[in-house]
Amino acid sequence: MQNPAIEYDYTVAKWFSYLAILFGIIGMGIGVWIAFELAFPELNYVAGQYTLFSRLRPIHTNTVAFGFTLSGIFATWYYVGQRVLKVSMAESKFLMAVGKLHFWLYFIGALLAVGSLLLRYTTSKEYAQFEWPFDIVVVLIWVLWGISIFGLIGIRREKTLYISMWYYIATFLGVAMLYLFNNMEVPTYLITGMGDPFHSVSMYAGTNDAMVQWWYGHNAVAFVFTVPIIAMIYYYLPKESGQPVYSYKLSLLSFWGLMFVYLWAGGHHLIYSTVPDWMQTMGSVFSVILILPSWGSALNMLLTMKGEWGQLKENPLIKFMVLASTFYMLSTLEGPIQSIKSVNALAHFTDWIPGHVHDGTLGWVGFMIIAAIMHMAPRFYKREIYSKKLLEMQFWLQTTGIVLYFSSMWIAGITQGMMWRAVDQYGNLAYSFIDTVTVLHPYYTLRAIGGLFYFTGLFMWAYNFYKTMTASKAIEKEPQFASPMAA
Amino acid sequence: MDIRLIQGVAYLGLIIFLTFVLYGYIMHLYRSEKKGKRNYEKYGKMALDDELTSPPVEPLEEHTKESR
Amino acid sequence: MFSWLEKNPFFFAVGVFVVIAFAGLIEIVPDFAQQSRPVVGAKPYSLLELAGRQVYIKESCNACHSQLIRPFKSETDRYGMYSLNGEYAYDRPFLWGSKRTGPDLHRVGNYRTSDWHANHMWEPTSVVPGSIMPAYKHIFKNVADLETAYAEALTVKKVFNVPYDKDMNGDGKIDVPLGSFKQAKQRALQYALKVAQETKRKDLVDMVKQGKVPEIVALIAYLNRLK
Repeated sequence: MQNPAIEYDYTVAKWFSYLAILFGIIGMGIGVWIAFELAFPELNYVAGQYTLFSRLRPIHTNTVAFGFTLSGIFATWYYVGQRVLKVSMAESKFLMAVGKLHFWLYFIGALLAVGSLLLRYTTSKEYAQFEWPFDIVVVLIWVLWGISIFGLIGIRREKTLYISMWYYIATFLGVAMLYLFNNMEVPTYLITGMGDPFHSVSMYAGTNDAMVQWWYGHNAVAFVFTVPIIAMIYYYLPKESGQPVYSYKLSLLSFWGLMFVYLWAGGHHLIYSTVPDWMQTMGSVFSVILILPSWGSALNMLLTMKGEWGQLKENPLIKFMVLASTFYMLSTLEGPIQSIKSVNALAHFTDWIPGHVHDGTLGWVGFMIIAAIMHMAPRFYKREIYSKKLLEMQFWLQTTGIVLYFSSMWIAGITQGMMWRAVDQYGNLAYSFIDTVTVLHPYYTLRAIGGLFYFTGLFMWAYNFYKTMTASKAIEKEPQFASPMAA
Repeated sequence: MDIRLIQGVAYLGLIIFLTFVLYGYIMHLYRSEKKGKRNYEKYGKMALDDELTSPPVEPLEEHTKESR
Repeated sequence: MFSWLEKNPFFFAVGVFVVIAFAGLIEIVPDFAQQSRPVVGAKPYSLLELAGRQVYIKESCNACHSQLIRPFKSETDRYGMYSLNGEYAYDRPFLWGSKRTGPDLHRVGNYRTSDWHANHMWEPTSVVPGSIMPAYKHIFKNVADLETAYAEALTVKKVFNVPYDKDMNGDGKIDVPLGSFKQAKQRALQYALKVAQETKRKDLVDMVKQGKVPEIVALIAYLNRLK
């Protein structure tokens, strides 16, 4: 049955790893830049209209979510998929071609889409800004990925799908559904034959549009920032530590729990808006219920390390992953708290929300992708990781960055929320709006510095990866568990 | 009939149904393991022992023999 | 049943899809029709306003400004009457935003004037000392794309029955005329001239007189309309 001549083929996984590093640096670089713009507005004019905050913010979110994170997801899929199905991509010319096409279409599509945002082509719907021609490209990319997933499943040797596979499949389906429905738009040129051919108008109006948008927006977080990252940690943490998942049954149970509950919680973005009251309440209630499956997964990950906590000290990759699950627990607790109506009244529209997003994305998503790619590097190139010390330094620098980020945003958000509602002894508003902006200057500065720390860490990561690829000591065979690293 | 009423009844029904499904699933997980029909925890090995040359935890061909 | 699902990727995928799909159905579908009903008196955007709205979107103003006043005293005191569902009936897309780096704009037309906006967009700190909003000088030179705005108006009229060229309140007059592109453009230019004069900036007035509407003028027309 086995043919020893065949090996896992990491070509596409490697390509996507390079992209993850590239888009990570671009996307978070822009993020740091616009964070400094909030503290020092003169920075807005560095390159004329192209560095205005409002122009760059969508580019930051899209590059990080759909550039960095998706590249990381695809890189790990093309690695983990083969391994847990025990089939090599080299066994099928067709799947290999699909994988490569998937990569190139994605890369070119991503560059064009970012360019279009820079030239002001946007639908304004958050995380769905791309105009309709790019939406079509996105759909094509997604279909290719689907072919790759189900094609590989079709020729697998392992009968049962490992839990990571479940999460990758769910990512595929979830994003497909959400993206299609939220981007329903009518290209105006096709109807009237005049005006800008790229322009389109949403199929939904007003409150309906808002409901569809946040059903999408919230669950894009679910299916890009949560579900596939869980897929990663269920593979990489056991593999790196040599410990099987603490409870496989719990992982199955929390999978179904997460799938079911997550989709209901979108309403918490619309509390006290004009959507029906019952929906706001439902969003709030389900957000709180969401703690259960989220913590189910997170505890399962942490308990996987049971009896082996010594590894935390020795292995920086374990550090990254354990801290990632800890940040996952933090943000899945913070989110529900913000969904409680009275808290939401204070927190909505403030900097606490970006704070919340970033402890999830920097801590959980970023750390997991960094760890996954560094775990794969020695397997890609049959070389040791270039420097353990550098990895350690990166870990501590980035952790400090995240802590600075979310603590300053917590304070900023709550300050802002309290000042908006503060009244004097006669019941008049105590502050004008601009008072609530200028007061945030120190926190904006701190946040930008935190971001800068994290960003610096990315360069250490890229350097370490590059050196691993080119200059590190060769190893004879693929390591089974812990990744070998030079001091 | 009022849409709110339908929604309310459907919602209640759904909750009851899902509670049954959830507990049914938990019972299924533990019972099938107790009876020795399947061992879920062995699937955890799929991540650890994932060389192309290592034997699958459950090969495709032998499926019929195993699950009966 | 469960173990069967776990081993059949196709039916597994179907199962996952069902589980994730129906939350959306239950939350969004039942109120869909009711949510799209306009409040009494709500009117579609005129051509110039629509062009301004497109500028608002192009410049991603919604990255920092919301258009949703929540029903709290602190918000109604600051911004005016809380937002109603039917006021958004002609908003495609909605522009509620998710972050107030700057203040809410849903009723900004009630308390800011054309020249205030022009000064503010030219140099924000000149009217709001301490403001961290950047200047948007390039939209004083860019010409608004009335053709695309017209294409959008015509599209929503045709596809979604938005009541352009209709008598909405039964007083025998057409409430929001659209007509042919030529007619609509003529009307937009007149309206733009009025707004440009209100800004007290000669360069803007001159541009409009040459038949070109600067983006800023369209944007101000849109902001003035937000009430």
